[in-house]
Amino acid sequence: MKNIKILVFILLASADLMAQNVQGTVRDKSSAGLPGVMVHWKGETAGTVFSDEKGQFSIAKKTDNQFLVFKMLGYSPDTVLVSGDGPLTIILKEETSDLNEVVVKTRASSIDALSPLHTEIINAKTLAKAACCNLSESFETNASVSVNYADAVTGSKQIQLLGLSGLYVQSNIENIPSIRGLASTFGLNFVPGTWIQSIDLVKGTGSVVNGFESMIGAMNVELQKPDNSEKLYLNIYANHLGRGEVNLNLSRKLTPKWSVGLLTHGSALKTNIDNNGDGFLDLPKYDQVNILNRWKYSGERFMAQFGVKMLRDTRMGGQKGFESRGSTPGLYGFTNKTNRVEFFSKTAKLFPEKPYRGLGLILNGTWHDSESYFGFKPYLATQKSFYSNLIYQDIFGTTMHTYKTGLSFQADNYDEKYGAILLKRNELIPGAFFEYTYNYLDKTVLVAGIRSDYHSIFGNQISPRIHFKQEVGKNDTWRVSFGKGFRVPNPLAEYFGNLVSSRQVVFVDPIAPEVSWSLGTSWIKNMGKYTISGELYHTRFEKQQIADMEHPGYIYFYGLDGKSRTTSALIELNYGPSNNWEFKAAYRFIDSKQTLGKPNGENVLVEKMFLNRDRVLLNAAYALPYDKWKFDLTLQWNGKRRIPNASPTYDHMSYQNMPYETAPAFANLNGQITRTFVNWDIYLGGENLTNFKQKNPIFDPGNPFGGNFDAGMAWGPVVGITVYSGVRYKIR
Amino acid sequence: MKKIAVLFVMFGLISFGSNAQKASVADQVEIKTSAVCGMCKKRIERDLGLTKGIESANLNLDDKVVTVKFNPKKTNAAKIKQQISKIGYDADEVVANQKSHDALPDCCQKTAKAHVD
Repeated sequence: MKNIKILVFILLASADLMAQNVQGTVRDKSSAGLPGVMVHWKGETAGTVFSDEKGQFSIAKKTDNQFLVFKMLGYSPDTVLVSGDGPLTIILKEETSDLNEVVVKTRASSIDALSPLHTEIINAKTLAKAACCNLSESFETNASVSVNYADAVTGSKQIQLLGLSGLYVQSNIENIPSIRGLASTFGLNFVPGTWIQSIDLVKGTGSVVNGFESMIGAMNVELQKPDNSEKLYLNIYANHLGRGEVNLNLSRKLTPKWSVGLLTHGSALKTNIDNNGDGFLDLPKYDQVNILNRWKYSGERFMAQFGVKMLRDTRMGGQKGFESRGSTPGLYGFTNKTNRVEFFSKTAKLFPEKPYRGLGLILNGTWHDSESYFGFKPYLATQKSFYSNLIYQDIFGTTMHTYKTGLSFQADNYDEKYGAILLKRNELIPGAFFEYTYNYLDKTVLVAGIRSDYHSIFGNQISPRIHFKQEVGKNDTWRVSFGKGFRVPNPLAEYFGNLVSSRQVVFVDPIAPEVSWSLGTSWIKNMGKYTISGELYHTRFEKQQIADMEHPGYIYFYGLDGKSRTTSALIELNYGPSNNWEFKAAYRFIDSKQTLGKPNGENVLVEKMFLNRDRVLLNAAYALPYDKWKFDLTLQWNGKRRIPNASPTYDHMSYQNMPYETAPAFANLNGQITRTFVNWDIYLGGENLTNFKQKNPIFDPGNPFGGNFDAGMAWGPVVGITVYSGVRYKIR
Repeated sequence: MKKIAVLFVMFGLISFGSNAQKASVADQVEIKTSAVCGMCKKRIERDLGLTKGIESANLNLDDKVVTVKFNPKKTNAAKIKQQISKIGYDADEVVANQKSHDALPDCCQKTAKAHVD
């Protein structure tokens, strides 16, 4: 609940006064000027003025009234005591009606200026830049997140942040831990893009309030809410490869307090695509049906929302001509059926007379079932989970000192069977947390949190975390974060793509928790049209699950015995020369090393596989007023990376001085043109316009039942240029 | 890399091309509307701005008059008034389309008193 925070801060800048008028600028928390904000003296609506396109306003001074009121629909109103003569800067916060940190903004992408955590906000506008199609494809224009090409058969996608796998990023949907456990395989593909209202991406450890798993970062996806979205939103998409999508969102206000929403998604690809001629489909054939129904009640003292999500996804890949294991036994096929049902409820008790106080309860139950075949090898897995989080927030004396505290409970039941390997686990994890926030005018903010989680199998885990933000002068912001996190890995679901191979899975050690410490800092400098930001993050693992693919023919899973550390740096320049143009240039560097060698009884610090040290991203965007025409072009350059040694004569004897193989650097270009009409948009775009393709994404594709077959070695795009088009139709 | 450079140049040209459209000679008309609040202003300006032939629209909430710049070859004052009516507001002598008007949020309807949000 944002209302509890101080809603504004006033910058009494250099005295540039006009004797009769109070002047100033209204901004949102990304520092973008807010136009159309109503400004008037308290109790006197006559003489109301509005802020202009830049958020600037000027109102006649009153001798008998010192309180200025700022109001705008969708934002929390604010009253400011006018003292002193300098121009005012008022930051209005988006109105939120529950405990979520909901953010709706007009600017494309930005850093949350108020949060002490380094938080990037990706809103619907940014998502619309790259129209396709789901959460896994939502980071195309983002410099810090890259999408990994896990394998050349299943179509599963994983993200990578700060040089580490997205597995270490706590991925929540509306503050409910969602993309975890078995869902880590295809979970990102299960969140349709048109359902997304915004994505908050925290770099560095997250808040203790939302759980223990945010080891290197935290992502929270907010979906469209029935009380503030379009009555009807229809999106139809198709690409030249034959993928089609239909998204239909409906929402209805039943009474002033009750609203109901339905989000639906259906998509399919049914064509056989084998452009590289290796006999394997470049993309799996699939179909997906995905539905979310939500009811929302928002009263003055009580908020509630509850809903149900249902998903069914079927996919089939492998050799061209494969029909089923029975009818085409000579061909290698990959099949997967995923069914998922989820129930959630979120309730909050509010105290209108004490807006800093709140009590919230989140409940979630999930059933996830996945049935896969890799050739003739079955992988059958079921996860039943229950999650609850009870959060209370209040102040110590004044709103300068606030705290959040509460209790959480996570229960997971895993039942997995892969060939002859059986993995069954029942985890019960009750936890408690406390987080104190010191906030001095939003300029100096310190957040200190600690949580304790008692894991029924692995014992107690204490996770302390600290976040600090300091504004330096008017234009600079410095942030630091430091903290600990842990998670329990699910190796088969997480290395799913590597199972499309003849590699034998060997558990050297039993499954054990992964524990890491992460330290990070960032500096953001605003210089009018330019914004420059620099970031540096360093993560060390105390315990880690290693997936060792150095030996051809095997995947060894074992516990880390030695060092594992990752450093990542990012420098990003944003330039907006006019209202129409926006440019972004970013360079990212990663150094990641792990200790490998247990299968040979060795301990050698080795550079991590499949990870490119260098990455460059350039983005140019041009838009006419009201986005009548919108052009967007993104170029990514990915440097060289280490890949497994595939030479048929290679015999892996030692981790010392291993002969390395490297994949070449490649560039990727995406572009999109959008035309907006009053009620609808039409877009045309292209992905991978440079047409770069990994030459042989599958080892030994002619002999899939033989000992050298491996489709889990993809490091680059498998399909070339993809052209797509679509329409969005909205009834407001 | 050459390909990329070419694409970037093309991109620039396209954008400048569409920018150049704006340079055409524009007529201007002032229309009194039944707008109530800042939301109405935003709605009318956006919807008119995206309408064929209209280059810009600016609504003054003090006198509820919207100033529209348009290309006389593509549209005219009568059409613009029709468009405002379709959005749900009175435009000079043209009365608001009842259906569109009723679909507006309560605070933007004609019966709404002058209000502060």
